Amino acid sequence: MEMFMMAAVMSLLGVAVCAVLFAAATRGERVEAPRPAEQLARAPQRFFASAPGSAPGGEPAKVPAEELVPVEALLLQIEQHIRLEQAAAESFLHTPTGQSLQSRTTSRLVN
Amino acid sequence: MTATLPDLLAGLAEEEAARVLALGRHSTLPAGGVLFNLGDAAESLFVVERGRIALTLPMQVRGKEQDVLIEERGAGQALGWSALVPPHRFTLKAAALVDSEVVALPRIALSEHLSAHPAVGYVVTRNVSTVVGQRLSLFQTMWLREMQRVVELSQA
Repeated sequence: MEMFMMAAVMSLLGVAVCAVLFAAATRGERVEAPRPAEQLARAPQRFFASAPGSAPGGEPAKVPAEELVPVEALLLQIEQHIRLEQAAAESFLHTPTGQSLQSRTTSRLVN
Repeated sequence: MTATLPDLLAGLAEEEAARVLALGRHSTLPAGGVLFNLGDAAESLFVVERGRIALTLPMQVRGKEQDVLIEERGAGQALGWSALVPPHRFTLKAAALVDSEVVALPRIALSEHLSAHPAVGYVVTRNVSTVVGQRLSLFQTMWLREMQRVVELSQA
């Protein structure tokens, strides 16, 4: 009997802990999720639903640049650009011609 | 033996170079340690003994000021030429990329030594002029390339 009681108490305790953890984990999501009424108010009214990830006009949704490239990656791109530009400038100084002055680099910032 | 001399002292006899370096104070910098900041009074010129120092400039990236790497200096290379050139203010920020060691040559002691030993002063000044001249040409070219892009963008 004691064993049965202990097992029952442990089970109840486990269920309670799981419930508390689940509530804690989903609390933030609930706050951030807009209510259906708000969603309706934000979205312009239209007859046909647009495809997921599409803008109302049928164009692909414009994702802000900040979301596409993290700032660390952008800084690396800038540094890479500077290195490539320095190399191109050194190349010009070694062999000064109009062509070498305006030579293209593979920098992603200008291509 | 001159091949092992720092670029600042290239062309000097070994004992002359040693006398110049003796004016300095050795210091260590942990990775990330700042040697000097943009706008600081340039009271010393530095020679890198070990490690790597990043020279950066602040740039606004997405509304936040970020240090952007302009150049790296390694063992045997000098940095902080502003200590020899008025108005003696650093125009870049220098920070260690890895654990590094530098010799800091105080501006006033160095100037006095170079004045007292004109032959040494001539060699050091020539080395400084060479590096400054090369850098000027390099950045002039980079500026012209950027200007070309600005012109192309304005006509697009």
